[in-house]
Amino acid sequence: MSALLTPALRRDFGLVGRQVLYEQRAYWRNRGRGIFTFVFPLIFLVVFASLNQGHVISSRGGIPYDDFFVPGILAYGLIATTYVNMAIGTAILRDEGVLKRMQGTPLPRWAHVAARIGSTIIIVGAITAVTLGLGVAAYGIHIRAATLPGLIVTLLLGTAAFTTLGIGVTRFIPNAEAAPVIINLTVLPLTFISSIWFTPEGMPKTLVDIAKVFPIQPLADGLQHVFDPRTVGSGLNGADIKTLAIWTAVGVLMMLRFLRRPLGEAA
Amino acid sequence: MNSTHSETQGLAIEVRDLRKSYGEVEAVRGVSFEVARGEVFCLLGPNGAGKTTTVEILEGYRLRTGGDARVLGRDPAAGERELRERVGIVLQQCGVQRDLTVAELVEMYGRYHVQSRPVDEVIDLVELTEKRDVRANDLSGGQRRRLDLALALVGDPDLIFLDEPTTGFDPAARRQAWSTIRSLCDLGKTVFLTTHFMDEAQYLADRVAVMRGGDIIAIGRPDEIGGRDLRPAEIRFELPPNWSLGDVPDVPAVGRSLDGDRVTLLTTEPVLAAQQITSWALDHDVELDHFSIAQPTLEDIYLELTGFGNQHHTSDETEVVR
Repeated sequence: MSALLTPALRRDFGLVGRQVLYEQRAYWRNRGRGIFTFVFPLIFLVVFASLNQGHVISSRGGIPYDDFFVPGILAYGLIATTYVNMAIGTAILRDEGVLKRMQGTPLPRWAHVAARIGSTIIIVGAITAVTLGLGVAAYGIHIRAATLPGLIVTLLLGTAAFTTLGIGVTRFIPNAEAAPVIINLTVLPLTFISSIWFTPEGMPKTLVDIAKVFPIQPLADGLQHVFDPRTVGSGLNGADIKTLAIWTAVGVLMMLRFLRRPLGEAA
Repeated sequence: MNSTHSETQGLAIEVRDLRKSYGEVEAVRGVSFEVARGEVFCLLGPNGAGKTTTVEILEGYRLRTGGDARVLGRDPAAGERELRERVGIVLQQCGVQRDLTVAELVEMYGRYHVQSRPVDEVIDLVELTEKRDVRANDLSGGQRRRLDLALALVGDPDLIFLDEPTTGFDPAARRQAWSTIRSLCDLGKTVFLTTHFMDEAQYLADRVAVMRGGDIIAIGRPDEIGGRDLRPAEIRFELPPNWSLGDVPDVPAVGRSLDGDRVTLLTTEPVLAAQQITSWALDHDVELDHFSIAQPTLEDIYLELTGFGNQHHTSDETEVVR
């Protein structure tokens, strides 16, 4: 391991680390972006939880509605901070020429991407802590040691899939102004059939089958499995993990395709 | 690879028969030139002449479709990090991480380089000292441009590409930027400049090349390009009342014209001609209003070379007649 870590590579990892700090500083300083990414899912959480106060889900053995909805909102918040943020952010960096400027510096392109992903992981950590913290404090969900592996693996794979997809999808966004519309178009309709706001039980089977192909449903379902009081074992849901893993692979390929293109030639 | 042919020759840039086509369109059609180390080289040309394509090939942003290019002895298309360590780039329009301050950005971009200049020294150099803790988003256009320069300089590059560096500057800020760029030359840096401003090229460049339609149509020192030093000078003055052009002494001139009472003489011997005219005026005790002697400016030569010269003059004259 230490043989692989040449001084040059060690320096590059140091650069990535520092770049993460710069990305973080820039992220939290932009109030409009930082706050809204957090506030949006939390408002949904409070509103939906209040609307359904005391409800139980009979199709799921009478578990409290909050045990379904808090992990669903966590999935939504994760997608907002990874896929949505990354895609819109990359489109802006591209259109404003920041990526081009960075490409002219000695910082390797992979290091810049790694730093942006690293920064995103920190933000995912923050939104997970806030959502689950509020869930535990106000909505009676329980974080169980037994299902922690399921929670961690699902969050990691979800972050990997949606972050790489967010970078990769930039290729299909013609300009930064179109980015929010296009990105929300790929997310919002799917959330309605992906077990985030409503349980899939009772939905037309076709819609449920469609949702299962895309990564939102497996992320939400995987997290809901973790917080379902009936779950025994590690909290890992094989089918969800498999779909998320496939989408991670797709995301990585899409990201590499986006990164391989020389930026000057795009103009 | 460490000491290549062109590097030992003291060349910063070497371009041979460089070509770039986009499908059917040939944007750069076989361009050749060299830039010596420590030289300020300026590429001029109208929009669409192939300037930016040429510069971006040298910066490594675009891939050439023919010919050869060497920048500091390396192929810019290879995208080598060693080359990026030694080259600073100010792009024509280029954003920056808006939420970071001037000082943070200069520090951040400096860290990308193995060797970098002290942050505050660079900020002072581009005169952003008072703005060091202001976010990039809150800078004016001119300040933003100076930040661009700072970010290109913080890595202490040997070669700096400046693509229209002073566009949007007020005259005072432009002068300031010029002196900054001049100071880079004193440090032995090579500067590759493109600009729309002829006075900028005149003031800064050791040599200029004029591009048109993807070709370099003239190259040389600003005061010699296009035979500028060999062109006749223009002597202008107003005829005193009650005198005619025939009364003016027959000075050595290759052309003379009268427009109202304004006389224009074209002469290859401006000193002699001026002496004869002024002594004639003194002898006859008459005033010569608006007396001037002018060599053709770089702009005159540029407009002529790029094919806009004649049009320009015609419009000037119609204005005078009116």
